[in-house]
Amino acid sequence: MFRSGLARTASFARNLAVPNNCKCIAGVRFMSKHSTESDVEFDARYESFFNRKDIDGWECRKAMNDLSGMDLVPEPRIVIAALNACRRLNDIALAIRFLETVKDKCGNKKEIYPYILQEIRPTLDQLGLSTPEELGYDKPELALKSVYEL
Amino acid sequence: MANHLVRYAAQQSKARISPIISQVRSAHDHAHDHHEVGDPIKAIIGNREVVGFGMNGQPNYIDRVDFPLPAIRYKEVTPDIQVLREKEKGDWHKLTIEEKKALYRASFCQTFAEIKAPTGEWKSVLGFALIGCSLACWIYIWMKKYVYAPLPVTLSPERQQAQLERMINMQIAPIEGLASKYDYEKGRWKE
Repeated sequence: MFRSGLARTASFARNLAVPNNCKCIAGVRFMSKHSTESDVEFDARYESFFNRKDIDGWECRKAMNDLSGMDLVPEPRIVIAALNACRRLNDIALAIRFLETVKDKCGNKKEIYPYILQEIRPTLDQLGLSTPEELGYDKPELALKSVYEL
Repeated sequence: MANHLVRYAAQQSKARISPIISQVRSAHDHAHDHHEVGDPIKAIIGNREVVGFGMNGQPNYIDRVDFPLPAIRYKEVTPDIQVLREKEKGDWHKLTIEEKKALYRASFCQTFAEIKAPTGEWKSVLGFALIGCSLACWIYIWMKKYVYAPLPVTLSPERQQAQLERMINMQIAPIEGLASKYDYEKGRWKE
């Protein structure tokens, strides 16, 4: 038993020391920068992340916060997957907040948001979700009470 | 518009619509009112739901457009919100606009439009800066009047003129300076 274990360890160590398949080494460096992920792969990754059946609120919020920190506007398919995730989590506030985030990410490119709305309209109707505009959240609604007057 | 906002603010004051400070305070009250002092987190956030990791793993609430989903819900769990939460589990088509908005406000303090609304703070900043500038002017005037001695008599125009003539007569700096620009034969400045 011990001998066979030793033998396997030795062969494992030899594999580590003498890599016999050198073909993949040239291109792979364990660095975090310069992601080689294409846009399509990125969209698919986030869509499948939101589409996970067992996604929980923490993961959903993490992904949404990450998306809002990136220099991009999420594709409609990601938005649809995220809204469906909110539906599974029974959190309509999260869905509305995410739509606001998407709108904010469009920045001064005013033509993007109507396009996204047009693409996700079927999902909105299916879920019974209102856009921030329908809730009157495109304009300031409440004033913030000063913290010095509490 | 302002009237409108003030009215809403008054309505919302009951619901404690304000950022972190109010939470700490209300949680403080909470800790005294109830017996749930055991959990230090609960002492800070009351019975608010922790719904995510947040910015740094701390259970705090902040409205930011670049980090829209903080770690806790904004409002504490109250019976009427619990009723709404139960209804939220059903079909969202059955929720009215008011209920959707109530659910949103239970989770978040400010909408994006409110976060990004101009505060008008620049006016007070500009005002105080200009007040500072005018104050400096008044200090300068006061110093001139009460602190500094009068200027020396040699700064009067006649004395300055006489000094210039004297410098020309003494041929001060004849290579590149004053005297080099003076034509002594014609008795005037060179062209």
